[in-house]
Amino acid sequence: MSKRGTESNKLWCAAAGGAAGLVNGFFGGGGGMVLVPLLAGKCGLGQRRAFATSVAVIAPLCALSAGIYYLRGGLDPAAALPYLIGGLVGGLVGGRVFRQVSMVMLRRVFALLILYGAYKALV
Amino acid sequence: MTDWLIPVLAGAATGVLSGFGVGGGSLLLIYLTSFAGLPQDQAQGVNLLYFLPTAGAALPAHFKNGYVDKAALLPAILTGLAATALAAWAATALDTGVLRRCFGAFLLLIGLRELFRREPPAPGAEQSPR
Repeated sequence: MSKRGTESNKLWCAAAGGAAGLVNGFFGGGGGMVLVPLLAGKCGLGQRRAFATSVAVIAPLCALSAGIYYLRGGLDPAAALPYLIGGLVGGLVGGRVFRQVSMVMLRRVFALLILYGAYKALV
Repeated sequence: MTDWLIPVLAGAATGVLSGFGVGGGSLLLIYLTSFAGLPQDQAQGVNLLYFLPTAGAALPAHFKNGYVDKAALLPAILTGLAATALAAWAATALDTGVLRRCFGAFLLLIGLRELFRREPPAPGAEQSPR
C-alpha cells in the first residue's frame, strides 16, 4: 500500500488500463479479467477495491468501443436492448450486494463457466 | 414474449457479476454466441453497449462504499481509451471466425488461471478503505 500515489504506481495503472483496453476493444468485453489482477497485483489495490475500480475504468472504454463497433457495422442496437434492461437490473443488485459476497467462491464458479465458454468456442 | 424474457434474464444474471467487476460480460458473450446464435462481432457489440447501463447502475454503490480508487482512474482510463480504440478497429476488420477462435483461446487462458489461482486474497486486502 505504501506505493500508492507514487510515479511508478501511476505508470502501472496506465499500463494496466492499456492492457485492459486492448482486450476490451478486441473481444468486446473481458477487460476486467485483465484489469482486476493488475490493479491488485501491481497497483497496490486491495482485492475488493480492484474489482470496483475496474468497473469505473472499463465503462468509458466500453462507450468508446461501442461507438466504433456501431460505426463499423458490428453492432445492432435493437438486438442489444433487452440485454441492456437486464443488465441495468443486474448491475443495481450487484452494486448493492457486493460487500457480502465471498470472493473465493465467486472466482471458482466463474472459472468453470468461462472454461465451458472456451470449450464452446474452440471445439 | 420469450423473445424478450430470456435476453432480459440473461442480462440480469450476468449483470450482477458485471456489477462486481468479475467478467459478467464474458459470460454474456458466451451466452450470445453459443445460445442466442449471434455472430461473434455482433455479440461483442451488444456486450459493449450492455456494460454501460450495467456499470452505471453498479457504480454509485461502489463510490458510496468507498471501493473506487480515484487515483488509479485517470491514468488507467487515458491509456485504456487509446488502446481500446485500436483494438476495436482491429476486431471489426477481422474475419468473425478468426475472432471467435481468438476469443476461445482467451477464455481458456482466463478460465485456467482462475481455476488454479492459489492464494485466496489476504484478509487485510478485503478491508474497506479509509
